[in-house]
Amino acid sequence: MSERASFARRIDVLAEIFAFTTAAFARQGIPATLLAGVDLVLEELFTNIVKYGRGKAPVTIEIAAIPDGVEVTLTEPEADRFDVTKAAPVDITLPAVQRRPGGLGLHLIPRLVDSLQYGYSEGERCSRIVFRKTSAAPRAGAAGRNEDERC
Amino acid sequence: MLTMEGGGETPVVLSGRLDATQAAAAQAYLDRFHGVVTLDCSDLQYLSSAGLGVFLKTHKRLLGAGGRLRLTAVNRHLQDIFSYSGFDQILDIEPGR
Repeated sequence: MSERASFARRIDVLAEIFAFTTAAFARQGIPATLLAGVDLVLEELFTNIVKYGRGKAPVTIEIAAIPDGVEVTLTEPEADRFDVTKAAPVDITLPAVQRRPGGLGLHLIPRLVDSLQYGYSEGERCSRIVFRKTSAAPRAGAAGRNEDERC
Repeated sequence: MLTMEGGGETPVVLSGRLDATQAAAAQAYLDRFHGVVTLDCSDLQYLSSAGLGVFLKTHKRLLGAGGRLRLTAVNRHLQDIFSYSGFDQILDIEPGR
């Protein structure tokens, strides 16, 4: 079973996304303990699209239960290639006065998921991000992969 | 939804979710305070990088005038976010239950 919904590219749509994840988790029996982490990853990915994406078409989110967890797919049509698994590193050891908030969202994502994959279809100009999160202990820096695919 | 109450002589009590839609309001609220500012996070359920940005900007402003930001009653999920972002090294964080 999986559920899919599309969302306009506006920050205020985040509430609709969170309502969708909450309902999908409940309907599919996905552990509620994973919800905050999934919402956080989706927020970081979605706000990145809203801020930097040049397309207008809605973004699609699909949620599917897997054993002890969830697989989430975020599809961005009219996209430029931007591999979120290869985001610029953030130096989290700097003292406060030297810290900048930029890039923290993408820095957090691989630390909150079990796996993270990025795919891009040149022909369709479509980005597809798939991540999995389970009840297993989180791994620091989930491995990602970049591959060409169809959306 | 995020609500913020108190401040000044009492801790600022954060309740709800501090996400990208609430960051501007949270920043405006915290900009009113000076010195050592304590945030009671016992009812803060969710925090994204937008919220981290609010805390960082506030902490840096306070540091510049000899103050700082303190966070109390921080739940396990938020502790993880602070740890992954390195904020546990720059903010005074007191875990909750």
